Order: sequence, then structure tokens, then C-alpha cells
Amino acid sequence: MSDNPLISLEDIEVHFTNENLLNFDEPETVHAVDGVSLDIEENDIVSLVGESGCGKTTLGKTAIGLQRPTGGSVTYRGEDIWAVRDGTATTETEWEDIRTSLQIIHQDPGASLNPNRRIVSILSEPLRQVNPELSRSEKRSRIYSLLERVGMNPPQDFAERYPHQLSGGEQQRVALCRALLMNPDVILADEAISALDVSLRVEMMDLMLDLQDEFDTSYIFISHDLSNARYFSGHGGGKIGVMYLGELVEVGPAEDMINDPQHPYTNVLRWATPDLALRGTGEPPMRKIDVPDPVDPPSGCRFHTRCPKATEACRQETPSDYQHGEQTVACFREDENHEYWDSPELTD
Amino acid sequence: MAIDQTTDRRVYSADDPIIEIRNAAVTYDEGRSYVLDHVSLELERGEILGVVGESGSGKSMLASSLLDAVPSPGHLTGEITYRPDGKAPINILELEKADRRSLRWEDISMVFQGAMNSFNPTLDLRTHFEETLRAHDADIKKGLGRAEELLEDLYLEPDRILDSYPHELSGGMQQRALIALSLVLDPDVLVMDEPTAALDLLMQRSILLLLSDLQEKYNLTMVFITHDLPLVAALADRMAIMYAFRLVEIGDTRDIVENAAHPYTRALLNSTPNLDAPLSEMQPIDGQSPAPINMPTGCAYHPRCPLATEECRTEVPDYHEVETDHGSACYHWQASYDEVPLLHENSPGDTTGGVDE
Repeated sequence: MSDNPLISLEDIEVHFTNENLLNFDEPETVHAVDGVSLDIEENDIVSLVGESGCGKTTLGKTAIGLQRPTGGSVTYRGEDIWAVRDGTATTETEWEDIRTSLQIIHQDPGASLNPNRRIVSILSEPLRQVNPELSRSEKRSRIYSLLERVGMNPPQDFAERYPHQLSGGEQQRVALCRALLMNPDVILADEAISALDVSLRVEMMDLMLDLQDEFDTSYIFISHDLSNARYFSGHGGGKIGVMYLGELVEVGPAEDMINDPQHPYTNVLRWATPDLALRGTGEPPMRKIDVPDPVDPPSGCRFHTRCPKATEACRQETPSDYQHGEQTVACFREDENHEYWDSPELTD
Repeated sequence: MAIDQTTDRRVYSADDPIIEIRNAAVTYDEGRSYVLDHVSLELERGEILGVVGESGSGKSMLASSLLDAVPSPGHLTGEITYRPDGKAPINILELEKADRRSLRWEDISMVFQGAMNSFNPTLDLRTHFEETLRAHDADIKKGLGRAEELLEDLYLEPDRILDSYPHELSGGMQQRALIALSLVLDPDVLVMDEPTAALDLLMQRSILLLLSDLQEKYNLTMVFITHDLPLVAALADRMAIMYAFRLVEIGDTRDIVENAAHPYTRALLNSTPNLDAPLSEMQPIDGQSPAPINMPTGCAYHPRCPLATEECRTEVPDYHEVETDHGSACYHWQASYDEVPLLHENSPGDTTGGVDE
């Protein structure tokens, strides 16, 4: 075994270009992800949080090889996965094996399960791929024991149902089982609990955490809810990464990110997370409600148009990453000597 | 099966009710089962009421009942009285079709969940506003003026929004435009069913702030229906908790959050991930909420309740008065304080929220 991280993202850039045949204007380019570097270790949990459209799903899909980056590299145990895919790498590793190791659970469990097939047939598919030597009855018994493990009792009954006969929480458990049966190294859980009732979310997260130990897998957990990210990453000893308009603005250990957020945007997300303290909501710590257009992201620090602490320097220059304890923060406020402090405040 | 929650009126009554609900019940099978089980409630003029319940607890049925808009073939019984300011009370369930049509939107308006599905994708927003005004014989020019003001109140650029098609707007913008559309006829009451469910948290929270501004500016009465208790706790004056098609607890937001007196409400508070509570202490609620066709006898929560006794299994509990204006439909509400301790009570209250330096 090497010291390579399980997955390593290096300076990832994903741009989507919309070329319109009838339109002779400049093609529009959406900067979905820009210059993100992130490592995922064995048995790790990385939660990505941010607003709709901040690129967290695109980054997640890039990490598990479902989206080809337009720049930068994705390595799996030290191997560049797109070089393996294209056959340009000098290695024994097969693309198929990489693909199998990196799985996904989608946001809408109802739409991700084939409505025409029974649960047992949906769950047989991954087993057929990974363990083709298993007999029909061995497959069944394995499916039953996993269904039982995720709390779907009696499994014989649930296995014969169709997806529409399950509740949302049960559907999501089936999707989780399907991913686990591939024996993956990483599962991308893309807003996997957002469609569930608030009261069911903790249960689902607990289940995912329990199964992590049993199946020895890592999670990339995508959520717009900081309290869920904190619960999930916190319990698994993982990290939280905050994304804004395609960039990773702050990343660090879960509890540090909650108790001592450094980036003004992390603070905005902190404000947006409901709690029961009943202080009243107060004014949001930002200047504008809506996110700028990712086709034409703001210059300098992309958050400067909404940031309550922004100065002229933020408009001019892009902050690099600063280290604050175990957190990595892309904000000039980390640098005491930066011209930011003498620059006029932005107020528009 | 039908219970009468009206005996102790004090716990849910309002001083100046704008809407009174008495024994509202919805059935889809001639009374064998109920998807809204004889709910009584009064809505105070100018208040924001948060109705909290899990999926399938009947909260959307309650919302639809307020406009007599229960999806067919559901059958709504009971009494729902609307008391406009300075005018004679109106019994909503006995209105003629034309009157009911004008009551909706002009007096009581509703925002449904999923703004994306509420707009017609082939029409621009201006047409949506104009059609609504025309359908209610309102002055179009004046109405559009009001629309522009509402859009500005919601931090949207009126010209840009009115000339856009729904798909050209982000989810948050669509949802805000929909709120503006629902208020364009100057209703007294705004009923919102999960108005922010499909949006990210930051947008949800921003919309909540805007709603509270709108409530003040236009003197609205609002009903905010959601499964997310902490979210609505920041907005609502009063909260009503639903479980299995019945109201189980009602009271001021502060009383519900800090002094919840129903084991279900307390379990719900404990099951919600929260940045304030210590990390280790979240507890899911064991078991599942029941379906209408196999409702447990007695208190519907008894199979999941640590306090359940024989009484709970046989007899549906009535409201017990915890304090003035705070009622809990539980026989053992006093015991629930010790049996189901609240996790967020012990956490320091002042170390959270926006961190200022």
C-alpha cells in the first residue's frame, strides 16, 4: 500500500460551455468548479456544503469519475483516473474497477430506482456485477441480510415490493444498499437525506455511519444544511468543505468549522442554519440575497458582491488559501499585513 | 374514532380570531378513516402560525381545508368561519361557487410547495400577474403597480422579473415571485404549504426574513406549514404540532420550544440536528407514524411513546391546559418533562449564530 490518499483532486476545473448553433455570440461558459484541490482518505467523510448552484454536486461527481474535469487531475490511489479511462496510463488498474469502487446515492430515491422492478431484482444487479459466481439463493440471502441490517423487516416481504410501495426513507435505504453491494471505497451521497423529513434525517445518517464501519467505505456527503454536515462529518471524524460559486472557500474539521468559522461566507451559512435558541433571525450577515450568475462570476474574491466585510482589495485580487489552525481559508482577513485592511469598504 | 377537541377551548382560542376552525375533518372513504381528524383551531388576526408535522401527518389537508380546496374526492366536514375585519363572518364551507372563487386569493391566498410547478412555463411572469388580476376583475394597472411594489419588497427587480419566463429565474426567485403573485390581490390571510422546501437553507432563511417584513407591512395573517420545526420557530408567533392527522400540541413558539409538553413534540425537538446541541445527543424517534387506514386506538402516538398507559391505548386524549394558551393532547404531559428530557436545554444559548468579532 502506498501513502497516496484514496482520492486526490488537484486544481480541478469544470467548465460547461453552451454552444448555440443559431447564436453567433460568444458561447456561454459556466464556471461550475474552479481550482479546487481536496483529498479524501480511506474511511474518511468529507461534507460539501453551499447554496444551490455552487458546484458541490459537480465537484462530487468529478471526484467519483462521473464528470470529466476540464482542468486539473483526479487520482484514485495514486492513479490518474482519466488517464486510465483513456488508456494512456501505464498501469494494470482497470477503469471498470475504479468505476465499481466509486458509487453514488442520488437525491431523489424514487427517481433512482427502476419502477418496473422489484427490490430484490434491483439489488441483484450489483451482486451480479461484483460477485457473478454467487448462486441465486446466495444472492437472495445476502440481500435479505442487508435489508434486515438497514431496518427493513421482514426482508422477504420488502424484497418483493416495487419502489412505489416503499416510503421515501425506505427507498433511500434501498439506494444505500445498492451502492454498498458494490463494495465501494467511496460513496457520494448527493443530498441523500434532503428529501426526507427532518425527523428521519438523523436516523438515516446514523445508519450510514454504522455501515461505514462495517463496509469500510468513505463518504462524500453533499448537503446545503450545515447542521446535517456537522452531524455527519462530526460523528465520522471528517471534514466540512464550504463551496461558493465553484470555489472551495473554507475547509476544515467539522467542529472547528462550526465553532470557529473563519470565512465570512461560512458565517453566512452558520446564520442560515435554524436553531432553537429563538434569538430571532436578525439581519443576514450578507449584502445581497441572490447568488451572482456563474456565467460571469465576480472578479477577485467571488463572494465580494455579497460579503459584509469586503473591501476594494477583494474586488481586485483573488485570495489564496491561508492556513488557520487545521482550517484552510480563502480570505484576506487571515493575513494581518494584507492591503485589504487599508482598502475602502464595499457598500453597494 | 372521531374525537372532540373543542371541550377546552381556552388552549387554542384567539382574542380576535380571523379564522375559526371547528372539528374540521377530511375523509376519503365515508368516515372509515380520516386524513384530517377533527381539528379545531383559531387563527389570531395578524399572527404567524407555524404548523409542524411529518410527511403524511395531515398538515397539507389542514391548509387546503382553509380554502375549502381539499382534493377530490375528499370530503370535508366541520365548520370553518372567516371573520373579515368589520364585516359579517363567512362560513367558508357553505359558500356558493362564485363567492368561494372570489374568497380564494382575494381574502385567503395560498402558496403551494414547489414554485416551479405553480407557474405556466409558456407564459412570462407579467402574464401570470395580469391573468390573476383579470380573473378577479381587478384593475390591471393598479394591480401591476402593487405587483411591482411586492417584488421590490422581496428584493427582486420588477422589470426584469415581469419580463422573464419561469425557467429563466432561479428557484429562490421563482418562489419569491410566487409569494408576490399570491399577495397581488391584497388578501388578509396567506397560507403557505412548505413554501421553501425545495430551496437551500440560506434562501429559506432569507425568505423567512422577507415574510416577516411582509407580514408587518401588509398586516397579514400567515399560516406556515412545514416539517422543519427549527426553521419555522424563528418566524412563528405560535406553533401547532400535528401527529397522525390530529393536533397534539399548540402554544406560543417559546413555550413549544422550551417547554414542550407532549412526548412527541419533545422527541421531535430531540431528533432535529442542531448546531447548538452537543454532537453526541441527537436521537431519532423510534418507529413510524401510522397510515390513516390503521390508526392506533386511543392516542395515535401511544405505540411509540415511552409514557403510554392503558388509558392512552383506549381513549383519545383531549387537550390538557399546560399554561394559558398552551395545550397538550396528552394524559401524561407532566411526566413527559422528566421522561423525555430536551437535549437543547443544557446547551449554552449565547455562543451561536453569526459569529461577530
